[in-house]
Amino acid sequence: MSTSPLDLLNQLWAYVEESHPRSLRGLREAREIDPAYFEGLAAKFLRWAVTARGEDALPSIIDAFVYFSTDVNMAQARYELAGNYENKTFAECDAALYQAGGVMDDYLWGIYLTNFLWAHHLEITKLYEERYLPQVAPNANLVEIAPGHGGWGVLALDRLPEAKLTGYDISPSAMVIARSIAEAAGVGDRAKYEEKDALNLQEVPAEIADACVCGFVVEHLEDPQKLFRVIAHLLKPHGTAFITGALTAAQIDHIYEFRNESELVLMCEVEGLRVTDSLSVAPRRTLPNARYLPRSQALIVQKKAGEIW
Amino acid sequence: MSAVFERLRSVFQDVFPNHRGEIQRTTSAKDVEDWDSLMHVNLIVTVEKEFGIRLKTSQIAKLQNVGELSDLVEQVVNQ
Repeated sequence: MSTSPLDLLNQLWAYVEESHPRSLRGLREAREIDPAYFEGLAAKFLRWAVTARGEDALPSIIDAFVYFSTDVNMAQARYELAGNYENKTFAECDAALYQAGGVMDDYLWGIYLTNFLWAHHLEITKLYEERYLPQVAPNANLVEIAPGHGGWGVLALDRLPEAKLTGYDISPSAMVIARSIAEAAGVGDRAKYEEKDALNLQEVPAEIADACVCGFVVEHLEDPQKLFRVIAHLLKPHGTAFITGALTAAQIDHIYEFRNESELVLMCEVEGLRVTDSLSVAPRRTLPNARYLPRSQALIVQKKAGEIW
Repeated sequence: MSAVFERLRSVFQDVFPNHRGEIQRTTSAKDVEDWDSLMHVNLIVTVEKEFGIRLKTSQIAKLQNVGELSDLVEQVVNQ
C-alpha cells in the first residue's frame, strides 16, 4: 500500500526532528508563511519524489537537502569573509558539479526540497503558482531553460492540462531526474528534455514559446545578459516568462554576483522584456553581523511586440 | 577532557552566550535552543578561525553533538 502525502509530510517532520534538529527552525518558518499552501505543495513534491525514487527514498533526499543547505550557508559565511563568490568561471562549476553524476543528483534533490522547505523559496513558488501560471494558457507551449530537477516545469504541466514543455539542460543527471519527476507527476507524455547548453538555444527556432520558465540560472553564468537574449529569442511576441535569480547569495556554483534588484530588471529591458511583476525575498535569519542580505528575486516578464508598447 | 575540547567549549560559549547548561560531549542542538542550521555555520567558521583549519561540508553537515565536532577538529588539526 502506498504512503499518503500527509503521511509523507509527517515522516519528513519526524525524520528532521530526530536526525536534523538544527533544520527545524527553518522548516517552521516556511510553514508559517502559509500553512495550507506549505502543506499542499509539500505533499505534492514529496509524493512525486517518492514515486520517482521509491517509498524508502525520503530520508536520503532530506539528507541531501540538509547537506545542500549547509553547503549554501557555509558558502555565504565564506563570502562574508572574502567579499566575493568563491568560484569565478563556469568551467570550474561544470567540472566539479554539473557533469559529476552522484554529486549532481544529491545537489538537485536538495534544491528540489528548498522549493517548500526554505521560507523565501516557498514565497517564490507561491508567486509562480498564484500570479504567474494563471496568466499562461492551458494549451501553452512551454520552454524550461536549465530545468535542473524539473519541478518548476512539472508544476506548470500539473496545472495546465493541455500544455507541453520542452526543457533544455546541460547536465545529463538533471534530465534523468526531471524526466522521473514528470513521469511521477503523470505529465511525462507532455514533457521532453534535451541536452543543450542554455546559452546555445539561439539555434532553436525563434518565437516557439508561449511561456518560458528559467528558475535560478542567471547567477550561474559568467555573462547572464546572454540568457535574457535567449529568452527573448524563444518567446513569441507578448509571450511571458518567469525568471528567478539570486542576489548576494553565495553557493558553490554561483558565479555572477548580482547586488541590486534593478540589475535583473535592466537585463530584461535591454532584450525587450517588460517586467510586469516582481518579488524580492530574503531568508528570515542571516548570519550574525552579516554585510550581505541573500535574496531571491522573481520576475514575471512579457516580450514586447513593438518598440513602444 | 582533551585540550581541543576545552578550547571548543570556550568557542561554544562565545557563539551561544544565552546557553546556561553545562557543555558536554553529548550536548546537541536538542539541548541548545539557538543552535539552528545558521548558527551551526557560525559555530563552524568560529571554530575554523580558532584552530586555523578549514572544514568541508561533508564533515560538518552530519555532526550530531559537541563531542563529534571535537573529534573532527582533533582529527583535522593532527593531519
